[in-house]
Amino acid sequence: MQILGFYITGYQVAFVILAGITLASAAMVVLLPNILRAAMFLGLSLFCTAGLYALMNAPFMAAVQVMIYVGAITTMIILAIFLSNRVMRIGFAQAIYNPLLAAGAAGLMFLFLFLTVVNSVWVKSAVAAGPARVGQDVPAVAQALLQPYVFPFELASVILLAVLVGAVVIAKEDVDGDS
Amino acid sequence: MAIHSVGYAIPVTWFLTVGAMLFCIGLFGMMVRRSAIGMLLSIELLLNAANINLVAFGSYLKIPVIAGQIFTVFVITLAAAEAAVGLAIVINIYRNEQHIDADKISAMKL
Repeated sequence: MQILGFYITGYQVAFVILAGITLASAAMVVLLPNILRAAMFLGLSLFCTAGLYALMNAPFMAAVQVMIYVGAITTMIILAIFLSNRVMRIGFAQAIYNPLLAAGAAGLMFLFLFLTVVNSVWVKSAVAAGPARVGQDVPAVAQALLQPYVFPFELASVILLAVLVGAVVIAKEDVDGDS
Repeated sequence: MAIHSVGYAIPVTWFLTVGAMLFCIGLFGMMVRRSAIGMLLSIELLLNAANINLVAFGSYLKIPVIAGQIFTVFVITLAAAEAAVGLAIVINIYRNEQHIDADKISAMKL
């Protein structure tokens, strides 16, 4: 498809749409005073990031993103918001604190990162690669997890177990009453 | 129709720019949010931006490496762990102090 002399592929159109929704809903996450709506927009932002992963030829990451981030973490955050519901009734000025200074700092950070990205020389060959690229699909992820990365993989499961126990202990209501 | 080519004709700089924008939005959120849950939401945005960069570099290398995706899996695992512990702490604070304003939580200050 050719628009105004530029050759535009469907992948680029999909990228622009997905990135636009991701960034717009991320802005909603940080700007909305109602924290419940912010959490909902976080789910939308993470969901569109899964689309970006699919564009990067990482289907496993897209599935993991939808299952863990959108399915589990967002749900957990929303449940925690329900358990501390006083935060839902506040205005913008109470929820957002010193926005101009923070926007300046974040803008400077973005300027720095963007100049770094633009001024660096990236590998060109992979971008134009046409044929199927092996070594990035689900079997490759499984093999990498079970062969070179098996120790961190098992360590992650131990950490998850410890975190599960720790979160229950922290959030549990005190029956005895001593702190 | 090269379905499996990496982001057909999408330059890697586009993904890196989106990652940088997402990171800065999360940074902004970290600075402006008062409620502890709002700060947790911003942390998720920051981690997500880092994940985008990891997957992009893993996929766009001349010889693609799987490590980008593997490390993203670990980041997501630890993000889930961090969210669980963080929310447990937030719920505990809310039970004790009836608010989760990060500026006013002073029980552990000297």
